[in-house]
Amino acid sequence: MTDILRAIDLSKRFRKTVVLDHLNMSVPEHSVYGLVGPNGAGKTTTIKILMNARQPTEGLTEVFGHDSRKLSPEDFTQIGYVSENQQMPDWMTVEYFMNYLRPFYPGWDAARAENLLRQFELPPDRKIRNLSHGMRMKAALASSLAYRPRLIVLDEPFTGLDALVRDELIEGVLGCADGATILISSHDLSEVESFASHIGYLDRGRLQFSEEMTSLVDRFREIEITLANPSQSSISWPATWLNTEQSAAVVRFVDTQFDPERTIAEVHHLFGNTHQISVNPMPLRAIFVTLAKAGRRAA
Amino acid sequence: MKMRQVLHIFKKDVRHLWFEIAVAMTVVAAFTFTGARRALWLVDPATNRIAAWTLVMILLPLAWWTLIARVIHDEVLPGDSQFWITRPYSWRSLVGAKALFILAFISLPMLLADGVIVRAYGFPLEGELSGLLWSQVLLAIVFVLPIAALSALTTGFVQLIFAILTPCVIALGVAIVAPELVLGGFLGGSDWVKTYYVFLLISVAASGILVWQYSMRRTAAARSLAVAAGILAVLGMTLIPWSAAFRIQSWLSKRRVDQSLVRVDFDSGSRWLTRAVIEGDDRVRVELPVNITGLPAGMIAKPEGFSVHLQAPDGAMWQADQLPLRIASKMGHKFSLEATVDGAFYRRVKDEPLKVRGSLYMTLLGNRRTVRVPFGDRFVHVPRVGVCSASGGANRQSYFLICSSAFRFPPVLVSYRFIESAKEAVQDVWSSTEPRRAISYSPFPAELGISPVSQDFTFSTVPLPLSEAMVDTVEPLAHIRRNLEIDNLRLGDFEVRPAPVSP
Repeated sequence: MTDILRAIDLSKRFRKTVVLDHLNMSVPEHSVYGLVGPNGAGKTTTIKILMNARQPTEGLTEVFGHDSRKLSPEDFTQIGYVSENQQMPDWMTVEYFMNYLRPFYPGWDAARAENLLRQFELPPDRKIRNLSHGMRMKAALASSLAYRPRLIVLDEPFTGLDALVRDELIEGVLGCADGATILISSHDLSEVESFASHIGYLDRGRLQFSEEMTSLVDRFREIEITLANPSQSSISWPATWLNTEQSAAVVRFVDTQFDPERTIAEVHHLFGNTHQISVNPMPLRAIFVTLAKAGRRAA
Repeated sequence: MKMRQVLHIFKKDVRHLWFEIAVAMTVVAAFTFTGARRALWLVDPATNRIAAWTLVMILLPLAWWTLIARVIHDEVLPGDSQFWITRPYSWRSLVGAKALFILAFISLPMLLADGVIVRAYGFPLEGELSGLLWSQVLLAIVFVLPIAALSALTTGFVQLIFAILTPCVIALGVAIVAPELVLGGFLGGSDWVKTYYVFLLISVAASGILVWQYSMRRTAAARSLAVAAGILAVLGMTLIPWSAAFRIQSWLSKRRVDQSLVRVDFDSGSRWLTRAVIEGDDRVRVELPVNITGLPAGMIAKPEGFSVHLQAPDGAMWQADQLPLRIASKMGHKFSLEATVDGAFYRRVKDEPLKVRGSLYMTLLGNRRTVRVPFGDRFVHVPRVGVCSASGGANRQSYFLICSSAFRFPPVLVSYRFIESAKEAVQDVWSSTEPRRAISYSPFPAELGISPVSQDFTFSTVPLPLSEAMVDTVEPLAHIRRNLEIDNLRLGDFEVRPAPVSP
């Protein structure tokens, strides 16, 4: 699978503030890549650099294999970009906006555009300035899906939207994706976990991990051990164990590289005999909370 | 550049900005109407509605600037959140659409308006075509390009106004404290060299900013370029020496006249005119009488600038560049030129024989032409000037002469006379070498100005029956430099102390 988006050793500083710190990331073609992380992690900056809306301080980003700084109008005919804080031409009506954009895109599908307006229940004769935030996002999305883009980039598209509108938008995106690659950023994992095929976790400008959802869920386990011989001696924890807690007889931790044989062997090596070892799969949300906590402790 | 995309964006801008366009067109129509009516001023004074004209002259640039800012801000360039930057816009098409808009709603209407006004004054349009086109170029350089560039660096009106006002306030502050820093010296007829340096700088910097911003949107770098251009403009205004301007003027001088015999000498016959006047601020004003000889027949010399070195026997030296040229007195071809000397230098050398080495920069003028302008309502075409009209007042005791020139004041010295009919005596209103206004030797067919017609007006209230007016012109034929040498000049011998002013 080829990578349709790449960030190579990407750094961005605003004066002395480091927003992106030697970020390396790639988004495989046809994937739905969820870029998640807390507010201020650098998600929007990464996407803006990918879209050539901002310049990197160091490093490089590529879209369709081209340096983002050289994205041509032809490249943009294959990109649908929607952002939460996008400035729209407020004076245009929804219909005029769609009609205005149509000649820019050779692949504009008028029937699909009409369907999208209907599906999103957008009033064609209403000015964009008079639309609610949710309606504006729908208008932006409709105008970005009508030409069947090869790449759809959604930057925090669900912020400030109620659940119903969010579901409508997701439905709209997935319904029109036609195998397009989707990069979607969000600070809330639950917004993307239901449909993302890949996930990247960005924190303080660094990508903590980036992998397929299935492998991510497979390798994280919450483990609780009841010790046979309680001991108070200090233990050197393996680097792959996070959020370690130890009382006299019970040890709890999250193994980030769970492998049944290796993990059990490590437990026996560190603690000797155990009464009980309980291994629990983790929901995605718990994985992220663990990572965020571990990251803060490390900082 | 895709022409279809250019037209598509242009149509969108027209649809969005129809109100601003309508306002601008209304102001241009008012400009055309009031401008054309002013042509009838002498015939019908009621047509000269100064207040309306002044208002239109203020509103017109405001309407242009609003239109330019609005059309460029329709696709704001600084920032990263505008919808259009992630759409398949070609930057060339976007620039093309904006340029087309400005051409269609600023340049073209002004071209037509200027044409109508100039025609109303009686100028043949075909004869004024170069001036008409060049004036549009100057309007674009001064009124369109800088505002377009600033609009490309700002996100809205508030930022734009701030960007315009900040340098204006700084320049005003500096101009109050040290006016020469902002304006530099006035270079006389060659002042246009400085002006065109600024025009060139504006054109290059503003075009560079626009191309840079539209192609790359690197606002911080483009803003730095704008600041650098502003500093270069001020430095140019301040630092361009008048001698360099005069050299450029001489180089451009097309006419070749025999100037081999022209000389400038210290006028030893009028040695008594030499003076060293002690002035209050520890300065000494040295006046040197000179005589210009060898001028070809029919020519007059107009001194433009004077550069002089005073050297003492011990090698101490003082250099004075005088511009604008100060002429203490004038009698035919005899001039008394002024140079300012530092008081300390003067006190040190005043009793020593000084060696004076100077250069006088002059313009030679000739080809005198005289045109009669009879009193009446009709316009008379006056070559080199434009059209003139003379009128006797209702009671025959006041007489008026008004001359209109298209796109620039004529690059000639003009003087006006009224003729007394009974005695055929001539009443000289102005002498021929002292122009009524500053002459510009600019070789270009238009000067910067919103109004396409400049007017000059004179009158006589002599209680005599006058028959007609006359317009005399002489044209510049050559710009030359001649050296001046004076030996053994003891300034102390000519010292003059101004008499104390009695309370």
